[in-house]
Formats: sequence, C-alpha cells, structure tokens
Amino acid sequence: MAVVAGVLAVVAALVVLWPRGVETQPHLAETGQLRFELTPVSTRSGSNTFDLRITDRSGNAADGDVTVEPAMPQMGHALAPITAAPQAPGRYRVAGVDLFMAGQWEITVSLRGERVVIPLLLT
Amino acid sequence: MKRRGVILLLALGAVLGIGAPALADGVQSGADVHVAQSLGDRDLTVIIRRVAEVPGPVHVDVVTHAGSPAGEVALTLRAAGAPSSTTRVELGAAPGFHSGLLHVDRPGPWELAVDEATIPFVVPALVPSPWENATYGGFIAAGVLLLAALLLAVSGRPGLALVPSAGVVAAVAVGVTAALLAPSIPPVAAPGTELDPTFDNVMNPYERTSITDFSRPPVNMVPRMEDKDLVLSLTDGSSGRPVDDLMVHDSAFIHLVVVSPSGHLRHLHPVRTAPGEYRARLRDPERGVHAVAAEIARRGGGVQLLRSGVDVAGSAVAPVHDGKAETAMEIREAGRPSTITAKFGERDLQPWLGMLGHMIVVGPMTGGAAEAPIWAHVHSMIPPVPGMPGKPDESVAAYGPDVPFTYSFPLPGRYLVWIQVERDYSIVTVPKVVDVPAAKGVASK
Repeated sequence: MAVVAGVLAVVAALVVLWPRGVETQPHLAETGQLRFELTPVSTRSGSNTFDLRITDRSGNAADGDVTVEPAMPQMGHALAPITAAPQAPGRYRVAGVDLFMAGQWEITVSLRGERVVIPLLLT
Repeated sequence: MKRRGVILLLALGAVLGIGAPALADGVQSGADVHVAQSLGDRDLTVIIRRVAEVPGPVHVDVVTHAGSPAGEVALTLRAAGAPSSTTRVELGAAPGFHSGLLHVDRPGPWELAVDEATIPFVVPALVPSPWENATYGGFIAAGVLLLAALLLAVSGRPGLALVPSAGVVAAVAVGVTAALLAPSIPPVAAPGTELDPTFDNVMNPYERTSITDFSRPPVNMVPRMEDKDLVLSLTDGSSGRPVDDLMVHDSAFIHLVVVSPSGHLRHLHPVRTAPGEYRARLRDPERGVHAVAAEIARRGGGVQLLRSGVDVAGSAVAPVHDGKAETAMEIREAGRPSTITAKFGERDLQPWLGMLGHMIVVGPMTGGAAEAPIWAHVHSMIPPVPGMPGKPDESVAAYGPDVPFTYSFPLPGRYLVWIQVERDYSIVTVPKVVDVPAAKGVASK
C-alpha cells in the first residue's frame, strides 16, 4: 500500500513539476505570393543554423536568391544580410549565424522582394 | 467493520472535497482592443472584443462617426499572413456601431484587416501558471496520500501508515508554499507588449527570458504626400529597418496631429498599410507647409513624439473649425500650472480615444506651427467607476459638461490651443489662443 502511495506521489510530482521545454518549432509566415517556414536548429544563443522551406501559396517550391537578415530590435543592432544556400527545390539552409546574445531577435527573410519578419526568442 | 466504513467514507470525502482545480486565467486575461482608424474618407473606431474561447468567434464592432460615407468594409482575419475567415460589414449612413463576426481557430498573433488597413493583435491562450500547478498538485497529492494513510491505518498497519502521512505533510508544504509565494512572483514578459508575439510564446507564456529592459530605439518619421493621402514612413533609429511593432496606446497606433499654415487642426489615426508604412487622408487640404506630429509607442514601452513638416498642394481656402464652447481660463505664468475648462452645456459627451477630452497645445508661435518649440497633448480623464474594470466605449454618452485641462506652459508667449471632445459621434474641435505671461523676475525667451 505504502509503495502504491509512494509511486502515486512520485508520478503526481513528476506530472506537476516536469519541465516543459520548448523544442525548436517551425515558424510560419506568409506574404501575398509566398509561404515561408523557418526552423532554427537551436533556441539558445550562440551559433545557429536555419532551415528554410519556401513555397508559393499553392505549395510549389519557390526558387531565387534567399536573404536572411537577423536583427536584435531592443539593442538596435542588425547583422549583415546572409545569402541562404539552396539545398533542394524550395529548401534553403543558413549555417553559422552568430546570434551571440540571448533575447528577442527578428529574422527578416526575403525572396524576390517578398519579405517576412520572423520573431525568434533565444534563451 | 461498520466503523471502518465510516472512516473510509470520511477519507473519501476529504479527498473529493479538495475538488478539481478551476483553471484560472492565464498570464493575459485579455481585453477589448479599441483602435481608431482614419481609413480613407472615414473615421472609424474598430473594437475587437475579448476572445472568450479558442477556437471560437471574434466579435468586431466598427464604429462610424458623423460625416462618414455609407458603404461596405471587408473584415479579414489572418494568422501568419494566411487568411482564415472573412466577412463584410455594411456601414449605414447614420453614425454608430456595426458588428461583424469572425472566427479564430488557435491562440497566437493575429491580424485583422479592415479593407487595406491591418491591425495586429494577440489572442491569448489560457495557460495555468507553474505555481498554480504546484498549489493544486500539492493539495491533490496530500489528499491522495491522506487516503492511503487512512487505508493503511484501518487495515491494521499503523506503522506503515507513517510513510504516506509524511508525504501528506510534504505535499501540503509544497501547496501552501506555492500558494503563499505566488503573489510575489514577478509577472512574465507578455507577448505583444514586451516580446514579439509568436504562436510558441503565446501558448507557453511562462517561459522566462533574461531580458530586463524591453525598450526599443527611437524612430525616424518621414512624411510625404501621395495624392490626397499623407503617408508616414517609420524606420528604426538604430538599424534603419521598418518599424512594425507599434502598440495601441490611447486607442490608436499613431496619434497624428496635422496643423495647417492658417492654424487648422486635424487629429488623425493613420492606418497600417505595410510594415513601417502608415497613411491617413487629408480631406480638402489647405496649400502650404503643414506641421506634423505623431505620438507612437513601440513594443517594450515608452511613448515617443515625432515631429516633422510636409508641403501640401491644396486649395488657398483655409478650412475653419465650427466647434464652440465657453471656456474658463486660469492662465498662470510660464512653468506654473494653468487650467482651462471648456463648458459644453449638456451632459452628453462621449469618450473619445478613452478620454473625456483632448487638448493640443502648440507654441509659442513666432512663425509656423512646425517651428514651435512646445507641442503638447493634454488629456481630461474619465473618472473610473469603482468595480468596473476597463473603459466605457463610445456608446456611453453621459459625460461632461465641463471638461477641465491643466497644463504648465513651459515658455511664455502666444500658444494655439485646440480642445476636442466627442458628441453625437462627431468630433467637436474648439480653437483658442492663450497668452502665457513670463514668470516674474525671469526674462522671456
């Protein structure tokens, strides 16, 4: 009986106190023509890598030069734009982005004049 | 045996008496969003009512004002740029409230488009806080352990019952500690007002960040005329990027005051048409250089006043204000508080932008309004009703008749003053001229 109660208590404590971490989620944004999906490899400060998937509104892979502009609005600091490397039709990768400080970042992704701003909170 | 049953029943009652926790409101309780919008030839107030459940309906009220042409506006809700629900609202010729019903399917950042104007807003998620979980979890665990201890005791093993009893003490300690400490735990940064809202941080608002200062750099404003529209381009003062994080303060994204060369005032609320681009129509403008002043608040807090001027190719005829009110002025020397009370006769004023009245002060006038060193926006508040959180909307026409303003004119000289109130869904603008004497013993500047 005591064992059962002990197990129950431990399970209850785990359910209540289990740390609910944030996994890296894809961030979605759409413009009039395009649909952008950005997945950061990490949500921690430091060197980061973004995987991008860009399609038109009906789901066909988009092509062209993709530029990524990270900026930290609270600090009034912007990084030089980085050109993303194409991986497959509609898929791009930006490696080695130095997001050196924890806090609120805004990643502007642009392709053929279509721009989206994707907020990214780093811990 | 009978006694054992009674004990069991009592123990069960103790456990069930704790009951299921009622989920309290999450980090944002949510409130109606009131936004004034100068959309084309119309002056609208768009009210996005609090979203009670997600997925669920969103009630949007579009309030028209006197002189607003009848017609139709399209309301569209968008999440991450993708339209999700749309409706059309017929605006009658009579000013008043016109309702539309839309639908949200998830919490997070949303955007309401009213024709070409877009209004970003956040639909909060109801998430219990970790300390609520600890409080309820602690008491539930205590109940379960108490039951176990009682069962062991009545089954003739009082020695073993000590183990769950110790657990009861520990669980109650956890619950009580969490409950007692909860009020002193600092609030987390709110998505939308402090952090950029994303679906993740709206769904998980208790994630802590290391940021303590949320304020953002000042803004550069460049006004230009495009046909009849005054277009404002806002860029970040540090990075030059478009400023797309304006918050609704005093019921508008931008309070734009435009003063014509002859001293005619417009108080407009430009609509957001693109990131960093806001526009408002100048109806029947006067020719010449207009003084432009915009009040904005960026995400992270702090209101900024941006001043500029724009050359307008209009007609030579100067428009005049027809608003009239008796005013009682108690003007003191520069630097001391002066009080101007406008008397509107009847107790039927409506709140405009959440306030009873607004007074715009420009001066001391030596040349054009654009060069005036002082530019102020004074409020006359509506006293809050005890027990009524939130502000009344424009449908309450029961304020006034006297509208007092107190302002310490910093410099001596001649000021242009405009007092604005709302009556019958029409903005009444009363222009006045105030001469402020120099403080004794101080030379006028």
